[in-house]
Amino acid sequence: MAVLTNGSTSPLGTLGTLSVAQVLEHSQAANEPAWLTEMRGAAWSAFQQMEAPKWRRTRLDELHLETLQLAAHPHAPELLGADKAAEQGAIFVPLRDALTTHADLIGSKMGQGVPPLANRYSALRAALWQNGTFLYVPRNVELEAPLHIRYTLPAGEQAHFPYTLVIVEANARVSLIEEHISVESATATLTGATTELFIGAGAAIRYASIQQQNRTTYHIGGQVITLDRDASGEWVSFGLGGKVQHIEAEARMQGDGSRIEWHGATFATEQQNLVIVPWLRHIGTATESHLDFKTVVADQGYSVFDGMIKIEHDSHATSTRLEEHAIHLTPNSRSDSIPGLMIDTNDVAKAGHASTSGQVDEEQIFYMQARGINPADAKRLIVMGFFETALSAIPHEITREQVAAHIEGRI
Amino acid sequence: MPNELHIKDLRVEVKGQEILKGVNLTIQPGTVHAVMGPNGSGKSTLAYAIAGHPNYVVTGGEVIYKGENILELDPAERSKLGIFLAFQYPVAVPGVTVANFLRAALNAHRAQPNVDPKETAIPMAQFRKQIKAAMQDLSMDDGFARRYLNEGFSGGEKKRLEILQMSMLQPSMAVMDETDSGLDIDALRVVSEGVNRLLNPDMGVLVITHYQRLLNYIKPQFVSVMMEGRIVRSGGPELALELEERGYDWIKEEVVGSLN
Repeated sequence: MAVLTNGSTSPLGTLGTLSVAQVLEHSQAANEPAWLTEMRGAAWSAFQQMEAPKWRRTRLDELHLETLQLAAHPHAPELLGADKAAEQGAIFVPLRDALTTHADLIGSKMGQGVPPLANRYSALRAALWQNGTFLYVPRNVELEAPLHIRYTLPAGEQAHFPYTLVIVEANARVSLIEEHISVESATATLTGATTELFIGAGAAIRYASIQQQNRTTYHIGGQVITLDRDASGEWVSFGLGGKVQHIEAEARMQGDGSRIEWHGATFATEQQNLVIVPWLRHIGTATESHLDFKTVVADQGYSVFDGMIKIEHDSHATSTRLEEHAIHLTPNSRSDSIPGLMIDTNDVAKAGHASTSGQVDEEQIFYMQARGINPADAKRLIVMGFFETALSAIPHEITREQVAAHIEGRI
Repeated sequence: MPNELHIKDLRVEVKGQEILKGVNLTIQPGTVHAVMGPNGSGKSTLAYAIAGHPNYVVTGGEVIYKGENILELDPAERSKLGIFLAFQYPVAVPGVTVANFLRAALNAHRAQPNVDPKETAIPMAQFRKQIKAAMQDLSMDDGFARRYLNEGFSGGEKKRLEILQMSMLQPSMAVMDETDSGLDIDALRVVSEGVNRLLNPDMGVLVITHYQRLLNYIKPQFVSVMMEGRIVRSGGPELALELEERGYDWIKEEVVGSLN
């Protein structure tokens, strides 16, 4: 028996048999606010009507959504650092709990970052999320220790859609790590994660998104950071696990003077197909962005970097740079880099993108060999060095070491 | 003597073109041997061939060291045998710190066959102590160890790092390829003093240089002149001074003359 929400016991069956009426009914049975019930209904209706998006480089042909069962329980994520955050007046709780205490605040933001009806998968996530995380950092509050969210798709479950909603008020400061893991399963599993971060005027966030799921998992996510006036973000994205990953991520420089420093790394080995679609969207005046992505592929691994700089019509004096560098460790591995630039204004300070791709530099290997280091160890050192800028952007030393050890173990 | 480096009739091609055309040279432990020559004479090719760079294809001859023809060893094995190349153009490796690199190199040297590398690895405290002392000798500040390998380094910093590596790895046969290039006089002094401190009766040094200048600081007992892929003259330190004074053309004329 599958249930959609806490307190509800009606069987839902698979995604293929779930009706809009059932979705509405379950939302109401869980005493969700009317706006949420409505949002879910609209999203599910859209999901049923929409065609699958044409993601040519994402191998979704073996993912049969209609056969998937929703997770039977709305598992709360593991949240680390909540107590300390609470001492300073911040709220860091499972989203379902927050719904009973901060429904209006959640309602004012949910869906503003990642539009529910953007495509069939965003609609699926908006309609069926069961739990997630709510983080609220009040004005002027500076949280020293990083907060940590760990989402696990538990054994025996087939699909979950964790939703992370973050509101950082003016001049507040926070570091957040969002980690996705899963257990190995006999059949395909799906994680559809939505993350919306709203960063207020003059506020600052360090945010790490780490996807480390197992080889049966499809991870189809949407992430948007919206930055208000003079807000700043340091973002690091790691795409390491899963069978297939497709993450649409966006840094939205809404307010004047807002800026993002974004690092990322994709490491695709075995048969993994890891796709990241990062957007730098410039809306305000004198906004700045820098995206530096590192990709390493090995075995039959296939990575896609589909990055875009979008400079909106009403923006002024944008300064932006997007770069992606890829290393191929084996001849059968593949990485596609598709950096794009869309400029809808004449008023741009600086905009550029670059991408490179190649094998590990032979001269670097020889230099290390000349010091006694064998070629395999030399390669490992060079690749770890290649990922170093991304690793050092993880705002928590233990997590950084874990991620580094995970990568090193797979080279 | 077992620890002499014995180069016999060494022939080396680069991109299908023969650069070394039969080099014969012996470097004794406890001596500094300078190889001088004009640009394009094959000096750096000799250095790379000794170290085992894959682009330098050996087509004939042997290089015997400690009883082995090192041309049959891969570059890492040559390093472990005690051969050290101080690069003319050290390679930048972004993201890899000087400290991590040096620790990896030291541990590679300490590794034993069939022994868990963890057991032979240098203890962290010992490594820190050792690198700190070595950096002090070369007037490097502590922050240097945390910088990425040769990334954004000045010419002087790169060469100092080469000597730092040499000092940590304690080679028995050092090949210094144009170590003076790109150095101002102060950096040259620091680097040379670093090398001189490492000299010992068991170590041979092959100094490759275009100019005599470096030899004022690192004093050779033997000087050989290389031209068009061959050693064409050998002598003592006075030969370097003569080259300084008269340039290379007179030797060229004599060599051509003798061939005619």
